[in-house]
Amino acid sequence: MTDRLLDVKNLHAGYGPIAVLHGLDFHVSEGEIVVILGANGAGKTTTLRAVSGMIDRTGSIELAGKSIASAKAPDLVRAGVAHVPQGRGTLPELSVEDNLRVGAYIRNDNEIDADIEQWFQAYPVLGERKNQRAGSLSGGEQQMLAVARALMSRPTLLLLDEPSLGLAPIIVADLFERFAEINKELGTTMLVVEQNAQLALGIADRGYVIESGEMFAEGPAGELINDDAIRRAYLGV
Amino acid sequence: MDLFLQRIFDGLSNGATYALIAMALVMIFKATTLINFAQGEFAMFGGFIVLVLATEQGLPMWIAVIVGMLISAVLAAGIERTLIRPFDPADHLPLVIITLGLFLAINAIAGIVWRFDPRAFPELFPSGKAMSIAGATLSWYTVFTMITILVVAGGLTLLLNKTKVGLAFRAVSSNLESSELVGIKVGPTLQFGWAIAAAVGTLGVSVFVASPFRQLEPQVMVTGLIFAVSAAALGGLDSLGGAILGGLAIGLVQSIAVPYLGVPTELSLLAAVVVLLLVLLFKPSGLFGTPQVERV
Amino acid sequence: MASVQLTKGTRAYTIYKWAGVLALVLLVFVAAFAFNDTGKISVFDNDYKIGLTRITKAISFMVAILGLQVVAGFTGQLSLGQGFFFGTGAYLSAWLVADHSWPWFLTLVVVVPACFLLGLLFGVPALKIKGLYLALVTLGLAAVFPSLILLDVLEPYTAGAAGKIVDSDLIAPEWMPLDGIATGLQKIPLIGQYFGDGDLSSKQEQRIWTFFLMAVLAAVCFKMVSNLISSRPGRAIRAVRDNETSAAVNGMSLSYHKTMSFGVASALGGVGGMIYVAELGIASQGDFTQLLSILFIVGLVVGGVGTLSGAVIGGLVIAFIPEWASSTQNMPGVPDRWLQGPTGGLILGVGLIVLTFVLPGGIISGVRKLRAKIVQVLPAPIRVGESIAAKE
Ligand SMILES: Nc1ncnc2c1ncn2[C@@H]1O[C@H](COP(=O)(O)OP(=O)(O)O)[C@@H](O)[C@H]1O
Ligand SMILES: [Mg+2]
Repeated sequence: MTDRLLDVKNLHAGYGPIAVLHGLDFHVSEGEIVVILGANGAGKTTTLRAVSGMIDRTGSIELAGKSIASAKAPDLVRAGVAHVPQGRGTLPELSVEDNLRVGAYIRNDNEIDADIEQWFQAYPVLGERKNQRAGSLSGGEQQMLAVARALMSRPTLLLLDEPSLGLAPIIVADLFERFAEINKELGTTMLVVEQNAQLALGIADRGYVIESGEMFAEGPAGELINDDAIRRAYLGV
Repeated sequence: MDLFLQRIFDGLSNGATYALIAMALVMIFKATTLINFAQGEFAMFGGFIVLVLATEQGLPMWIAVIVGMLISAVLAAGIERTLIRPFDPADHLPLVIITLGLFLAINAIAGIVWRFDPRAFPELFPSGKAMSIAGATLSWYTVFTMITILVVAGGLTLLLNKTKVGLAFRAVSSNLESSELVGIKVGPTLQFGWAIAAAVGTLGVSVFVASPFRQLEPQVMVTGLIFAVSAAALGGLDSLGGAILGGLAIGLVQSIAVPYLGVPTELSLLAAVVVLLLVLLFKPSGLFGTPQVERV
Repeated sequence: MASVQLTKGTRAYTIYKWAGVLALVLLVFVAAFAFNDTGKISVFDNDYKIGLTRITKAISFMVAILGLQVVAGFTGQLSLGQGFFFGTGAYLSAWLVADHSWPWFLTLVVVVPACFLLGLLFGVPALKIKGLYLALVTLGLAAVFPSLILLDVLEPYTAGAAGKIVDSDLIAPEWMPLDGIATGLQKIPLIGQYFGDGDLSSKQEQRIWTFFLMAVLAAVCFKMVSNLISSRPGRAIRAVRDNETSAAVNGMSLSYHKTMSFGVASALGGVGGMIYVAELGIASQGDFTQLLSILFIVGLVVGGVGTLSGAVIGGLVIAFIPEWASSTQNMPGVPDRWLQGPTGGLILGVGLIVLTFVLPGGIISGVRKLRAKIVQVLPAPIRVGESIAAKE
C-alpha cells in the first residue's frame, strides 16, 4: 500500500448546513492518472476542494502516508498538492510571467527563472505574451497557463477540475495530450475531474464515478469505458 | 497670471497630502475593496508619534519620520490581526463598522493624550522659496512635497512589482482563491497592505503639517479624509497612479476653481464632494481604475 | 427553556402584546414627570443627570437612527450622512418657525419632502453601484454640512456661526391638567418623592408637553416604518436583497426601491432634526458634523441593525453616554486625564468594536435572548382551509 500517494477514506464535506459528500473512498497511486467522472452537481468539484483544503471536511485523507485532513490550502501547496480550480485558475490582472512566478511562491530555490523559461520554450504563446495580462489570453491558453502555474510549485500531486470546460474540442484533445506528456515526462501524479469521460478515460489509468456525493462505480479506465451502464449514463452512447 | 500660477503651486502642495492618504486608501481597497474610514485617523496618530519622537526624544526629523512610519505600520498590522482578520473579507458591513469604531477611538485617544490644541510641527523641508516664476513663488515646501510623492509612488511600485510579498499582494488583489491555491497566506498578505497603508499615511500627515502654515492637532485629518476619498475615487479606487493624479487634481480644484468661481473657501470641501458624486454618476471606476464596479 | 409559551393569534398573546404597549405608555408617562429636571443617578460622587430635555434629545436621535435602520435593512448598506439630513431638517424648521412664525409641527410639511428629495438626489448615483459607494457619498455630505451653513448666501436664513435661535415654545393647552397630574403623582406613597415638589413651573410644563408631543411623533414614525417593512413591497425588497441572482433579474426595480428607501430614511433624518431643534431652541452648525453622523451609526449598531426597537436603545445610548462621560469627574483606578478628554468618544468607539465581536445583533439581540428564556412566542398554527381562503 505504500505506493498510494493519496488515500482518502470516508470523506464528508459540504457548504455550511448542506452536506454534499457522504463518505467517499478513493486513492491515487504514485505516477497514476486517475479520473473522477460524474454528472453536473454530483460533487466532483467539492471532492477536489475537500482534498486541497479549500473547504472544511471530515474523514481520513493521507498524502504519502501523512494525514492532511485538517490542513488548509496554503499548507497543502507546501506539502506538494497543486490544484487547478474549475474555470480559469489564473490571476487575470497579473501578467503571464507573474502568473508563473506566483506559481513558484512556495519555492526558495534559484531555478525558478529557468523553470519559467522552460514553459516559455514549451509553449511559445506564453513566451510571446509574457508581459500581457493573463486575462487577455484565449480560454485554452489560460487553461494551459493555469496548469503551468500549478506545476511551477513542483507538486507531487496535481488536481485538475474540468480542464475541458468551455473549450473547443480540438483544443481539449490537444490539452489532454499534453497532460499525458507531463505525466510521463515529469512523473506528476494526476487526479482529474471531468465530464468529458471519453477523453479523460483515454489518458487515465483508473477511474471513479460519483453520483450525488457517493461512489457509484470504480475500476481501470479500460473497463469503465466498456461498461454498458456507464457508457449509457456518462458517455452519451 | 502670476496669481494663477501661484494657485497651481499651492494646489499641488495641498494635493500631495491628499495623494498620499489616497494611496493609503488604495492599498487597502485594492486587496479587499474595503475603505478604511479610520485611515485619516491612523495617519494623524502617526503624525503625533513622529512629533513625540522628534521633540521629546530628540530624534533628527527625518529619522523621526521613518521610525514613526515603522511604528504606525506595526500598530496597523496589530489592528489588522486582532480586529479585521476575524471577519470575512467579503462581508463589508462589520468591517466598515469596525473602521468607524477605530475612527472614534483613535481620535478620542489622541485627544486625551495630546489634547486638542494645535501644535507646531518641526520643519521637514528647507524653508523659503526655491524660485520665482513669472512672479509666482515656488517654495521649497512645494518642490519637496512633489518629490516626496514621486519617491513614495516609485517605492511602492518597486515594492509591489519587484518583491515576493508585493507579488503575493497583487495576487491576492486579483483572486483570493487562486492565491491560496499557490500557497499564499491571505491574512498576512492583507496585513502587509494595512501596514504599508499606515506608513504612507503617516508620511502624508507629516508632510502636510510640515507646512509653515499648518499645525498638528487631532482633528487635522477629519476633513482631510474626505478630500483623500474623493481623490481616490477620482483616480479609480484601485489605482496607485490614479490616487496621485486624483489627489493633485483635487488639490488644484480646491485652489483654482474655488477662488475663480468666487465661492468661499468653505466650499472647497463641497467641491471635493461634487467631484465624488460626478465620478460615481459618470465613471464609477474612476479615471484609471479597473472597470469592475458592479451595477445593481 | 422558556417558562411561558404563547401562541400567536390566541387571546393570551393579544393580552401579552397589549400589556407591553400599555407598559411602554406608562413608562413614557412616568418618565415625563419623574425626570422633569430632578432625575439623576449618583455613582462615586458623580452626578449623572437624566433630565427630560435629554430624553427628548434622545427621541430625536431615535428617529434619525430609525431612518438608518431603513437604509441598512433595505439596501444592506450604511449611510454615513444622516447628520446632513438631520441638520437640514433642524435648520429648515428653525427658519420657518423663527422667521415665518410657523407652528413647529407644520414645518414637517416642508421638512419631510425636502429631505426626501435631497435623499433621492444623492442616493441615485451611489445606490446604483454595489459596494461602499453610498458610504463614501454620504460621508462627504456629512462633512460638508457645517460649511454650507456658513455660506454668505445662506447667512440671512441660517444666522451663520452664531446659530439660529428659535424663540417659540410648545405650550400645553389649557385643558391639559399637567399640574394636577404632577400633584397627584407626588401624593403616591413611597415613590411620590420622585415626582418633585409642588406646582410645575411654566418651563417644566413646557418640557413635559414637548416631550409628550415628540414621543407621539416618534411613535407615529416607528409605526409607519414597521408597516413599510411588513408591506408587500417591503418584504419583496428584502427578499431580493438577500438573493444576488434574483437581484440581477430585478435590477431595475431593485435600484428604484433602494433609492426610495434612502429617500424615506433621509426624511426621517429631517424629522429627527426638527425634534432636536424644537427641544433645544437653537440650531448651530457645530452640532451637525461628520461626528454626529458617525454617532448615529454607533446608535444603529449598538441598538441592533435591522431592529426597530434597537433604534430606541441606540438613541438613548448616544444621547446619554457622551454627556455622562463628560460629567464623570472621578472614577477609582482611572487617571483624571482620561476623564477630562473626549472619554465619551472613546467609550463609544471601543463599545462599537467590542459589540461587533461579541453581540453583532446589538443590545436588542441580547435582550431578546434573555426574554426568550422567559416567554416564547410560537407562530400561529396554519389551518389548511384558512390559508387557502387567505390567498383569495
Ligand atoms: N458554494 C456552495 N454553496 C452551497 N452549495 C454548493 C456550493 N458549491 C456547490 N454546491 C452544491 O454542491 C453540490 C455539488 O456541487 P459540485 O461539487 O460543484 O458539483 P460538480 O463539480 O460535480 O458539478 C451541488 O448540489 C451544488 O449545488
Ligand atoms: Mg464542478
